[in-house]
Amino acid sequence: MVKALVACRAGVGSSLMLKIKLNQVIDEQHWDMEVEHSSLDELESFDGPIIVTLSDVAADLKSEGVKKEIVGITNILDKNEIQTKVGAALEKIGDQ
Amino acid sequence: MIEKMMNPALTQLKVTAKDWQEAVHLAGAPLVEARAVSQHYVEEIIRSVEKYGPYFVITPHVALAHAPSDAGAHQLAMGITTLEPAVAFNNPDNDPVKYIFTLSAPDSNSHLQAMQELVELLSEDAFYQTLDQAQSPDEIMQYVQANVAAKKE
Repeated sequence: MVKALVACRAGVGSSLMLKIKLNQVIDEQHWDMEVEHSSLDELESFDGPIIVTLSDVAADLKSEGVKKEIVGITNILDKNEIQTKVGAALEKIGDQ
Repeated sequence: MIEKMMNPALTQLKVTAKDWQEAVHLAGAPLVEARAVSQHYVEEIIRSVEKYGPYFVITPHVALAHAPSDAGAHQLAMGITTLEPAVAFNNPDNDPVKYIFTLSAPDSNSHLQAMQELVELLSEDAFYQTLDQAQSPDEIMQYVQANVAAKKE
């Protein structure tokens, strides 16, 4: 079971919607993955390997040097984008 | 659930704004009027965008304007504002914004089901057509009620 955190600035809106859509993709793809959501403030207490967030937030996290696999989504309703990007992150983690 | 967060008084059609700041102010005004959020909440949305960028332009042409609960979200509510013409929010992927959904969520869980329903609404082209073509807020309310209720059966 891989743990992923969906996070956004406030933790009440975009991250929740992204989590809903990501869970649909997980069901369809039969990924062994568990998703939590929160605001960015709770990032430090998250112990899983993957963070999924909006693309501009992802860019900030990467530049801050956050040591996780960070996935940035531009269109949170686009299941193809979510599947491609999160799938790539899962593969990377599997390789480690 | 989401139909209970919406109401015609929080819904505005074909609003004209000169920039994204004015658009957020106008979109938030009915929620302030209804005391669903404080004026501070609306200012906090704008401050957050100035600080972090347009993080809530979540899909092409759609902004989910919101701030953290403790910024002044008093009551669970969802405002809808359509913009004409569309307004740039400096989000290169999803600009320009035509629809602002102003969310007030007093905590992080009570609106879970409503957000699920919003995801479903925003995944249907017919919803955008309704937003574009509606002559009155009631037409949007009717669409939401018909479609959210239909999904539950």
